[in-house]
Amino acid sequence: MPVLTYLFLLLCYLLSGYGLLNLFGMRLKAAYTITLSLILGVAVASFIPFLLQLFYIVITGPTVFGALLLTALLLTIPSFLQLRKEGGAAFIRRFRPGLLRVRPYELPYWLIIGFLIFVSAWRCYYQPPISRDALSGPETIAEYAVREQTMINSFFRIDLWSTNNQFKSPFLISLQIIYKLAGFPFGQVWLSIVFICFVVFLYNALTEKLHPIIAGLLLLLFLMTPEMYAYTFMILYDYSNMVFYFLGLYFLFRALDPPGSAVTAVRSPATRLLPASLSFAGLLLGIATYIRSETLFLVVLLLPLILLAQIRGNRELRDSAIWKKMGLTHLFFLLPSLIGYYLPTQLYIKYYLPVHYDIGTLVNNHLSDWHPLWQRYSDIVTRLLFGTFATNLWGYLFYLASALFLAELVFVRRFNRQARNWLYAILLLYLALGILGFALPLFNLLETTKRALFKMMPLVLFYLANNELLLRLSRRISQWEALPSRGGSSPQQPADAAVGNPPTRKSVSRKKSRKK
Amino acid sequence: MKDFLLTLAACLLVFLVINVGYYGEWFSAKPRQYWFDFLKEKDDPADEVAIKKARYGITYTISMKVKEVVEKRKMAHAVILFEPNSYYRDSLHIYNAVRAPEPAVFYYYTGLEGVWTNSPDVNNANFIVRYSKAKGVTLDEIRSPQQLQQILASFKKYPPIL
Repeated sequence: MPVLTYLFLLLCYLLSGYGLLNLFGMRLKAAYTITLSLILGVAVASFIPFLLQLFYIVITGPTVFGALLLTALLLTIPSFLQLRKEGGAAFIRRFRPGLLRVRPYELPYWLIIGFLIFVSAWRCYYQPPISRDALSGPETIAEYAVREQTMINSFFRIDLWSTNNQFKSPFLISLQIIYKLAGFPFGQVWLSIVFICFVVFLYNALTEKLHPIIAGLLLLLFLMTPEMYAYTFMILYDYSNMVFYFLGLYFLFRALDPPGSAVTAVRSPATRLLPASLSFAGLLLGIATYIRSETLFLVVLLLPLILLAQIRGNRELRDSAIWKKMGLTHLFFLLPSLIGYYLPTQLYIKYYLPVHYDIGTLVNNHLSDWHPLWQRYSDIVTRLLFGTFATNLWGYLFYLASALFLAELVFVRRFNRQARNWLYAILLLYLALGILGFALPLFNLLETTKRALFKMMPLVLFYLANNELLLRLSRRISQWEALPSRGGSSPQQPADAAVGNPPTRKSVSRKKSRKK
Repeated sequence: MKDFLLTLAACLLVFLVINVGYYGEWFSAKPRQYWFDFLKEKDDPADEVAIKKARYGITYTISMKVKEVVEKRKMAHAVILFEPNSYYRDSLHIYNAVRAPEPAVFYYYTGLEGVWTNSPDVNNANFIVRYSKAKGVTLDEIRSPQQLQQILASFKKYPPIL
């Protein structure tokens, strides 16, 4: 029975996620479409029991699964209409270019990554939630919500002096409720869906930039960050928050890039592509904010980057209509995050929960004394990013990234635009985490900041994917691979390399066939 | 041939990563160990409670024992007081072996109400879970408000910690 419900849920996720992608006009390659649909579907599901609660509807199997199905169907209507217009053949063709194509040297990576995914997924299924933050809040609320049919249940009548986890986002509670109702006593298995889809998405995105042999290595190093790996089978907020924050930035940077980016299968003019991608990035960041409310601060800090890109693209800044349009773009980008912040932290806590929580009292009273801020910045670097403890947390990824950053700085002396974007994102996160730690004493170093640093890992990974030295190495390998095995004719310079882009596998195989 | 060489390089890189420095230590202590756990667990007929016992350890076992006693004695509205963990740490020196659950987690395990010595609802406590090296874990009734105040006074210098 749980297997059937699991499949039903997967179908709901796929439909609702695909519906959302379509709603935002995101036409992506098959691998991106499927993985993003599932991830977005999980996010949609995480709102369902919460919304039922907001409308005081009882939380039972029929109401939750009915609402999930209804949402999936509603979100699928535009896709269905489009399918009728385009015809089934055109729809299927859209998925063709992304069909699975394996090269033998990808297999060692796939095997080890598959192994890491498998043991994580098994633990997710077999072991109960363990983290104290889950047990002293969301997990217990979910457990009693299933028994008492409401998220505002007997848990709030017991002594909660030692915890504030009951005030955290309903994201976790909702998903745990769904899976407990589906017959999984420990819930949790939704996390494996997010994890697997994220890994597949990352691999595809990395191989757009780098040769699979380097992309696979980087992905393996990313997966083998000890601290983060543990959270692929231990439910909490930070891993999911990291996934949506990264995806938001990924699509934001795509939106800010010139047209014809590699991620889009359909090449649209920038004028049409930009607002949709930007709004989509806003949606993803909104989900990240719903999961962890302080993400709102990070989203606001991204606005100057968008403004800068808009100013660069518009020469007629005296025109008030342009400013109005820019303002609207910012609003649409920010709106999902504002909603993602307001619903759980303002509306739900203030007007629904029977216990009082004054967020204002959590703010540091000595904001004029900046010494703790500098101390926090120093601690993040010396204790969390570098040193023995940091190695136990993240492996050697930061060391590798630092070495390659310095090498690029010294030998190349310039960073390409995409590398600059990811470096900006890393710097912004570092500065923001310092400020958050300074302003909110509960945002401590060794737990909250440490887990908030999850968000930095994919940013570092994508800086590395745009590191000029790795790009050059990638090009070299691709060129060597494209050379005929016998015969001494020198290779032609690939067109992609001439414009500073790494050759994609497609361009290399095109070259191969031309030579034949 | 080139595919073969690249495959060889990929194998070498994977081998290096999972064996070098801290990665090597971590890989054999965690994912590899998890794999061996999986081999045991996949055929293990353990039920939900047994899995929880194995995962949550002594705290869960104590909590379930308390629940069993409460159910056996048919105690109406039992509120269980726990000794502070700092008492286990500083006086009994058993903090690493025995830990009192925090009330929210105790409720998750058992569905019973628990309180700590500094809880606002501590005055409702009518049972106390005690640990002593001689007797092990016991559940004692608190018979009067005076007795409760005496108990609380005895733990005054041990503030509750997680």
